[in-house]
Amino acid sequence: MKKYAYMALIGVLCLAFSQFLIYDYAPTERTMGYAQKIFYYHLPLAWWCFVSFFISFVSAILYLFKKNMCYDRLSAVSAEIGFLLATLTLVTGSIWGRQSWGVWWTWDPRLTTTLVLWFIYAAYLVVRTMAMPNEKRAAVSAVITIIGFLDVPLVFFSARLWRSIHPAVFASKGGGLEAEMVHTVIFCVLTFAFIYIPLLAFRLKQVQQLQSMETLRTRMLYEEN
Amino acid sequence: MLKTALLIAQKDLRLILTRSAGLSQALLLGLLLVFLFSLSLQTGEKLSPQAASTMFWLSSVFCQVLIFQMLYALEEQNSARVGLQLLPSQVQAVWLGKFLAGMLLLLIAQVIFIPAMFVFLNQSLGFYLFHACVGILLTDIGICACGSLLGALCVGQSGKESILSIILFPLLVPLLLAAIRLSSLGLADLSEIPSVVDHAEILRWHGLALAFDALFCSAALVLFPFLYNGDDS
Repeated sequence: MKKYAYMALIGVLCLAFSQFLIYDYAPTERTMGYAQKIFYYHLPLAWWCFVSFFISFVSAILYLFKKNMCYDRLSAVSAEIGFLLATLTLVTGSIWGRQSWGVWWTWDPRLTTTLVLWFIYAAYLVVRTMAMPNEKRAAVSAVITIIGFLDVPLVFFSARLWRSIHPAVFASKGGGLEAEMVHTVIFCVLTFAFIYIPLLAFRLKQVQQLQSMETLRTRMLYEEN
Repeated sequence: MLKTALLIAQKDLRLILTRSAGLSQALLLGLLLVFLFSLSLQTGEKLSPQAASTMFWLSSVFCQVLIFQMLYALEEQNSARVGLQLLPSQVQAVWLGKFLAGMLLLLIAQVIFIPAMFVFLNQSLGFYLFHACVGILLTDIGICACGSLLGALCVGQSGKESILSIILFPLLVPLLLAAIRLSSLGLADLSEIPSVVDHAEILRWHGLALAFDALFCSAALVLFPFLYNGDDS
């Protein structure tokens, strides 16, 4: 756990340094002005949110085929963190959208995909709090994770067919970004790795300890009776 | 497996259609939604085909939630589910049986919702009727595949209707977009259809609905045994 604590410390320092890059190194965007600066946190949040959901998806498949509760815990913890990051992505995206498009929300493939994922994982977190045997809960959660993740490409494609106004940041020659802006956003993405990995490790340890305590408590109650 | 599935579907349909409260509850909910939405219209005002189509699918999806909740609740009494789990056949036959029964019940409900939509939302038959019918059929397959899989997920849980809805609705978003776009074409005359709608776009929506059906039918066949087993007691 110590190495994760150091990693988190590096993450905090990098986060502080990223402020310098965002407000001093990267140029201010001509049309949107300072509101565009939110992009440097919005993009890393979105990318790490998808990484988190992908980890949850892979762990869910592994749980179903190996029946090892470690995978269930990893899937649950990744989904929790992914949900948190998706919420922050939607909030920052909404603020940015208000400045650039004049609306808090619009029908766009990336926005819709993130929102649909948010809804699916919100339902997933509700299911995980329901009273049912651990194995049943793990199986149900794994199934929701898998079908939720399988749905993502279809949501994206359908929303694109419907209509889209989202900018493609790295689609063609950096999407019109200055080199300094690209450096800053890459730095921010890497910084978030130093925050995400310790967060995942600490939460995983916490859930593991909670489950151990519950097992111990059940055993003590059984012995008392 | 197909024979077992047909037997299960037959049993479910017989039980639901012969019970007085069976399908009527789901039908009434769908009709009420269409009727209540019609209150937003002024006298003689016509709802846009896309809005009417959205209303139709909203009613269908709520109806489908009740149908699958009802289909899986049939075996809840006296632990009859154990009987299905012990069938000398693959457990996927249960998914397929419920899927077939659910599909038929949903089609019956939709046959009633369509005239209700014409009456309450002031709609009429449009130009691309064939594409709309194919769209409805493909969408029904997709939502029933999901409903049959997730219905099993909520077996034995309290508040199963709400759980089923909150899990099912976000998953159905891509399919519902295709369904709304395609069925609105069946309600709009040529003047109401935007010029950007061409045959290639219609085929893309059909393709999307077909891809959803294929993906979720395959996923359901693989995942159903993990949900419908004896671990939940």
